[in-house]
Amino acid sequence: MTEFLQFTLGGVSFGMVYAAIALSLVLIWRGTRILNYSQGAMAVLTTYIALTVINHTGSYWEGFVVALAAGLVLGAVIERTVIRPVENKPPLNAVVVTIGLLVLIEGIAGIIYGGQYRSFPTAFSVTGLHARSVPLGISRNDVFVASAVLVVALALAALFRFTSVGLRLRASAFNPYAARLLGVRVGRVLTLGWALAGLIGALAGLLVSPDTFLYPSSMDSIFVLGFTAAVIGGLDSPVGAIVGGLILGVVLNYVGGYLGSNLVSIFGLVALMAVLLIRPSGLFSVTHERRV
Amino acid sequence: MPSSAEAGAERGGGTSSAGAGAGRGRAQSGGGREARGRDKQSAGAGQTERGGGTSRAAALEVEHLESGYAGVMALRDVSISAKPGTITAVLGANGAGKTTLLATISGFVRPRQGRVTLDGTDLTRRAPEEIVRAGIAHVPEGQAVITELTVEENLRVGGLWRHGQAGRAAALEDAYKRFPVLAAARNRSASTLSGGERQILVIARALMASPKVLLLDEPSLGLAPRIVAQVMDLIQRLRDESGLTVVLVEQNARSALAIADLGVVLNVGRVVVIEEAAVLGADEALRKHYLGF
Repeated sequence: MTEFLQFTLGGVSFGMVYAAIALSLVLIWRGTRILNYSQGAMAVLTTYIALTVINHTGSYWEGFVVALAAGLVLGAVIERTVIRPVENKPPLNAVVVTIGLLVLIEGIAGIIYGGQYRSFPTAFSVTGLHARSVPLGISRNDVFVASAVLVVALALAALFRFTSVGLRLRASAFNPYAARLLGVRVGRVLTLGWALAGLIGALAGLLVSPDTFLYPSSMDSIFVLGFTAAVIGGLDSPVGAIVGGLILGVVLNYVGGYLGSNLVSIFGLVALMAVLLIRPSGLFSVTHERRV
Repeated sequence: MPSSAEAGAERGGGTSSAGAGAGRGRAQSGGGREARGRDKQSAGAGQTERGGGTSRAAALEVEHLESGYAGVMALRDVSISAKPGTITAVLGANGAGKTTLLATISGFVRPRQGRVTLDGTDLTRRAPEEIVRAGIAHVPEGQAVITELTVEENLRVGGLWRHGQAGRAAALEDAYKRFPVLAAARNRSASTLSGGERQILVIARALMASPKVLLLDEPSLGLAPRIVAQVMDLIQRLRDESGLTVVLVEQNARSALAIADLGVVLNVGRVVVIEEAAVLGADEALRKHYLGF
């Protein structure tokens, strides 16, 4: 029973990182119908930037904030420069461009920072927490990881729901034609969507790198799991992305805990294939009736 | 005019309101027609005065427009001027270029040649979102309701760029006052609205930005005759009460001419007739030849 509790709580912490990647993919997918294969690579770059700042200043939090800001800027710049020309083109163009970006960014990171594994600091202690004397299987830092993603997700939900910027984002995502007709500058809104996705991806990179170490392709496997989470959630639904991330994190932790940790990455891919085969629109997709 | 006309008749079930709706429908094809004709006469007279050239410029001026899609020229040398506070009906068969004309004015199709000006400001080749901001609101065919949003959110999108926080709230209140049917449905998903309600929603949404010119593409498409009468009545009231300049593209030439000041007939991308609506409606030969009624 204790074991089950530990696996579950640990899974929630991992799951929230997948959820963050999934959320960034969903944001971009909703706005532009593009799957951003370079999301993980972008997060690697911003995490390297964080590491540089941390080494320089000795402050984790300065590195944290700089990385988030860098993610915001990186997302916006990428949308403006290389994505804008392939929007409204055949989907394969965007696939090629974002895979190209993935290779390019990881290459640049390798040139600047080298290929060796670097350790990345955590924000809080990684000593296991106990409830009375029962070990919970999670640390103070795991709690931080889960709450950081939760806070960002809630802030995002509030932005979408209650602000006029959020209304612009939703209108442009659902019906860009109608939005332009009504004077919404859809181009700027798309840039904002990519910027927000860059920020959330950067957050995921910061949160997961203490576990994975940091090297140019360190986010690749995390990206695949984040993508799986997004597909479980239906790619269109921010709530689905969070739930998909949590389900995946917890299940993978059970697999690792009960069946052996070498099965985890295989199981992640099996889960992705299973979802794509059985329910490609995701568990949470709502098929919108579109009448004209 | 009862401001809640469309609300009442939309409900349909209420006996008195349904009766009123039907009454209006009959009036349009029957006795009311003469009265309208007389209205038109005076409006037409006013127009020739203005049209005299020096007194008052057109709100929307389309000059020698050539436009089309992917190598196919859909408009050739089209010139139309819409006077302030008038309804211009653009008529013609399928493929005559009516929809292309509106899409070119509102910036979704780039013209090969020609100019579009609003109150003397050249808007040719500006982006659609900038043209709306300049004061031309386009309500496309197929309505473009954002079905994933609520009725209120649809309206709010329409007013986003124009007003400050207080102005937006006021515009929303105005819309609800003018269209009680929308007020009743404000928190419902726009996907639950009927065809007529959707048409009212997109018109109300376009008005949220207080445009000078309203471009309407086939507002009667797919609506029951009773609802068509209400929508036409609404368009007429927008001109009479708010002084809006309307360009109305219609297949339903009879309904459009009944409320319009000026009739323009397009045929295979060219303007073949520009005539006062009353005259065009009364000219049997023209009507039969181009409009099929």
